[in-house]
Amino acid sequence: MVKRWHTTAAIAYIILVVYAVLSLGPFIWALLVSAAPMSYTSHGKHIGIDIMRWPPNINPFVIPPRVFGAPATLHNYVKVFQVVPFARWIINTVIYAGVVTIGNLILDAFAGYAFAKIRFPGRELIFSILLATLMVPGQITIIPVYNLMVKYNLVNTYYGLFLPKLTSVTGLFLMRQFYMSVPNEIEEAAKIDGAGIFRRFIQIASPMAKPAFATLAIYTFLGTWNDFMWPLIITSDKSMFTLTMGLNFFKTSYYTFWQLMMAASILMTVPMIVIFLSFQRQFVETGVTSAIKG
Amino acid sequence: MKRRLLKEGIVGYAFISPIVITIVIFILWPIFESFYYSFTNYNPLRQQEYRGTFNVQDMLQEYLLVLDMKDLDREKLTKQFNSVDFLKTQLGLHLNQKQIDAVQRYFNSKKLIEDFVNLKLDRTMSVAYFMRAYMIRDSYMFTHYKPAWLGWKNFTNMVHDPYSWISLKNSIVFSLVVTPIQTFLALLLAIAANQKIRGIKFFKTTFFIPSITSSAAISVIFMMLYSKPGVINRLLNYFGMPAIDWLNNVSTALPAIMLMNIWTTAGYFMVVFLAGLQGIPASLIEASELDGAQGWTRLWKIIIPLLKPQIAYVVTLGLIGTLQVFDQIYFLIKAQENYTTAMYIYTNAFSYGRMGYASAIAVAFFAVILLSTLVQRRVVREETYF
Repeated sequence: MVKRWHTTAAIAYIILVVYAVLSLGPFIWALLVSAAPMSYTSHGKHIGIDIMRWPPNINPFVIPPRVFGAPATLHNYVKVFQVVPFARWIINTVIYAGVVTIGNLILDAFAGYAFAKIRFPGRELIFSILLATLMVPGQITIIPVYNLMVKYNLVNTYYGLFLPKLTSVTGLFLMRQFYMSVPNEIEEAAKIDGAGIFRRFIQIASPMAKPAFATLAIYTFLGTWNDFMWPLIITSDKSMFTLTMGLNFFKTSYYTFWQLMMAASILMTVPMIVIFLSFQRQFVETGVTSAIKG
Repeated sequence: MKRRLLKEGIVGYAFISPIVITIVIFILWPIFESFYYSFTNYNPLRQQEYRGTFNVQDMLQEYLLVLDMKDLDREKLTKQFNSVDFLKTQLGLHLNQKQIDAVQRYFNSKKLIEDFVNLKLDRTMSVAYFMRAYMIRDSYMFTHYKPAWLGWKNFTNMVHDPYSWISLKNSIVFSLVVTPIQTFLALLLAIAANQKIRGIKFFKTTFFIPSITSSAAISVIFMMLYSKPGVINRLLNYFGMPAIDWLNNVSTALPAIMLMNIWTTAGYFMVVFLAGLQGIPASLIEASELDGAQGWTRLWKIIIPLLKPQIAYVVTLGLIGTLQVFDQIYFLIKAQENYTTAMYIYTNAFSYGRMGYASAIAVAFFAVILLSTLVQRRVVREETYF
């Protein structure tokens, strides 16, 4: 029995370690490339470097450490801000993701509370229509929405970017589920104490739904930060790009600036990893809740 | 009591109005509009034509070959001025027959020339504004673009367009290859992580990272790894195999992206499965052990059936996500033979300006997705009863 457990555990370890290497490998390679200079001089000789070579010739024990045989540098991370309006793209992305997240937190919560706790005619019907829109693929709405934006001169503006994203049915669904789990007795008691709907929503139910707010905030922020399709359609002006749009800028028809491209990729990924590591519980918990939902 | 209910109802409507309004504006109404576009030759550039601005005097001077604005002969200029020709050649408008008739009938050339001679036109105005000023009637034809009604033509074109079929096939193959593999891989990883071993937290975190990274960043990283001189080919060389130009080769480009897609999502789905596995009561597993169920038998007969909700969730999300795959294709695919439907719709609408045709494909694609969702619901439901 014990021996059997050992072999199972060994196989499990092998699978997990191999996949961990595969998961991190591409990121590590991107990190190495982002630290490589375009070329360098050694003993008066100009040496080009090969960022694709295997093995990558790393030596972390010298100063500066060496990657691909060349001295590692942070120069690419500085250069990204100089050759393209990278700071502007960061600001645009923060505005886009930030406004969309705040919009969803407020509007989805209001609607979620109404669908969970307030009685009004047509409630179930309206809710099921909203839910049905989840099955609508983006491809069918994107052309008319784009034309709407053209009509109201919202192309290449912040409004054009975030207006269509301010609410989401998934967010509504999540909030409604949480408000439904708030016991009716608490609401009734508050009602007897003379608390109106608004106060019950703000002061009683919403504080209890804190985990739902956290989950919604994280997922919305992450999804919008990483969104590519809508910025692609609604922005054409370089100064309105988000980070995902900007990545294409390091590739010209003649040459791809891999070092800069990788530095930019790392720069836009790190904030998400930080958010993920600090709010891991929410991520994993949603894994649970969404599985139950399914 | 009744009044209170009424008040509650009003508050309810107020609370849901923001989401209802945005969904109507940005999802429900656009669906109807897409259906309408799909029967027309809608072209966004045509709509832009009426908003374009120009300096009227400059244009007229150019058209009438007037260099000096002194002592102009009104009669001669009026005779020389052809309104339809001016709109077409000088302003570059695409006029249909109805518009040409209207211009011929109602365009006030006399007034225009009068204003021109009196030097009133040295300013910029939009085409729409210009037409409103100089059409006696029917100027609405030039303020709101109305695409021509084509009937079923877009749909018959689509049926005869080989690329619409190729892109649909690519989307479906993509979905049918990626979904089962990523589901299986996620399950395998979850089962491995569910053994009582140390360091699960590390593995969970590591596996999750690709799924929180933007598809754009992942695409460019893999663009580098997959490139002809890239590290994947170097590794192949290292082991004595020939290099392959993964992304530029029509036969390898899509499989390469499928692999990347599996890599991106398997970690997230693994966490879903792991949560499901950890929810299975230990007593159940022990009971099955007493009954002699071990290894594969236990996996198939006990664990998989208990994970049905998670499997349904993962497969549904997987199918929806992969059928509509776009970002990765946009970044990495060059050959039209490798386009997915989402990409083909995008290029038609936004690169070629054929929004009517693109809408027709989108409508057909919508039908495909609805159908697959319904079929899948059916299958999943029957399985749960089974």
